[in-house]
Amino acid sequence: MTAEHSLNPHRIDDYLKQLRQALEGADPAMIQDALSDAEEHLRAECAARPTENEETVLRTIAGSYGSPEDVAAAYRETERTVQAALSPTRRPATGTASVADAAATQPGPIRRFFSAWSDTRSWTSLVFMLVTLVTGTFYFTVVVTGISLSLGLAILIIGVPFFVAFIGFTRVLALVEGRLIEGLTGERMPRRAQPTAHGGWLARIGAMLRDPRTWTTLVYQLLMLPIGTLYFSVAITISALGVGLLAGSVVGVLQSVGADLPGGWWTTSDAVTLAVPLSGIEAFLVAATSLVVGVLLLTALLHLARLVGRFHGQLAKRLLVAA
Amino acid sequence: MRMDDDSRKFQRDLNAGLVSLVLLGVLAATDEDLYGYDIAKRLQRAHQGEPIFKEGTLYPVLRSLAASGWLSSRIVPSYAGPPRRYYRITDEGRAVLAQRRAVWRDTRDFVDQFTGPSSPTDPTP
Repeated sequence: MTAEHSLNPHRIDDYLKQLRQALEGADPAMIQDALSDAEEHLRAECAARPTENEETVLRTIAGSYGSPEDVAAAYRETERTVQAALSPTRRPATGTASVADAAATQPGPIRRFFSAWSDTRSWTSLVFMLVTLVTGTFYFTVVVTGISLSLGLAILIIGVPFFVAFIGFTRVLALVEGRLIEGLTGERMPRRAQPTAHGGWLARIGAMLRDPRTWTTLVYQLLMLPIGTLYFSVAITISALGVGLLAGSVVGVLQSVGADLPGGWWTTSDAVTLAVPLSGIEAFLVAATSLVVGVLLLTALLHLARLVGRFHGQLAKRLLVAA
Repeated sequence: MRMDDDSRKFQRDLNAGLVSLVLLGVLAATDEDLYGYDIAKRLQRAHQGEPIFKEGTLYPVLRSLAASGWLSSRIVPSYAGPPRRYYRITDEGRAVLAQRRAVWRDTRDFVDQFTGPSSPTDPTP
């Protein structure tokens, strides 16, 4: 066989460890998927042959499931083609025609700046910034409630299963958050939940407490309240300001051409300086300035959203996925 | 031994596109939802000797087919271990399968013209 590992896996955990080694350097989210696929398959195989021991079963499986190296290669290969097909922004130029096209339309800095408007990623990232207020509040509430109840119930027998269920729930939430992040920011996140340990209650709890991911997941979910509030505030403030300026410029233009605006259309308060009726060229200048500033602000916001999306993807991967 | 390595490599190159065709075919042929292990065993039963597809290579392809919208999937908890992901082919998947089947038949007939259909005198592997 092509397996370079001198030791044959004797247990499923060994096989998974070798697979993890073979996938070293790959996207952690893909590693988690590959490991859970392998575990699902190997455990099903062992369950299907209850009379043989794990070692015998594993020896035959090495031939049929594939060596860790073969399996790792298959994941890398499939991931590469799927990523290329799914992400329009990162598609590499293939063929000479598209290379020439790319050179011809090589955008200048100004075009590149405004390309944010046509990039779906920046809009979805903006949506992500807006929803984090809701999701962040929810995660925070769940974690705080879960921890306090776990501590409160710790002296009762029900405390232990409650804690296990609570941690299990936070893992499901972490998976959901991963799907949300991948959908909106494009960062690859796991498609399978993290497998839970096997064995009795005590073994499971021990594994949970020892797994650093249990704790980093809780930290992430707690952090999401302040982070989400920040994202939401920034996104809503800048977009409201930008949209307000754009709307103001429309009013200004209408005013400069002498259109008779219905009272109260923009504001009825005399205290607002911009509401002081300007005429002709002045109104037009104010309108033009607010149009330019508004467009620049919104474009900058779209860029910011993309940056935030990328940053947050990395953060989530660090805390929710990395082993 | 070298011969063996070469045919294995050739098989891998061939499989690049065939795995997805076969997986779509298996799922189109049944009304049930199937999970990875189940599919792997069906393939194993259909072929004697060393498996054509390593079972481990089926899973990433199943995922990518699902990501393309050709399969739908759901997760079901299992008593035997981790939860299982069940797959079912979508209408879009059936359409893709029909196209690919046509391409495959065409290719196979073309290749057969030059390599000849296998005759009983061929040494069996």
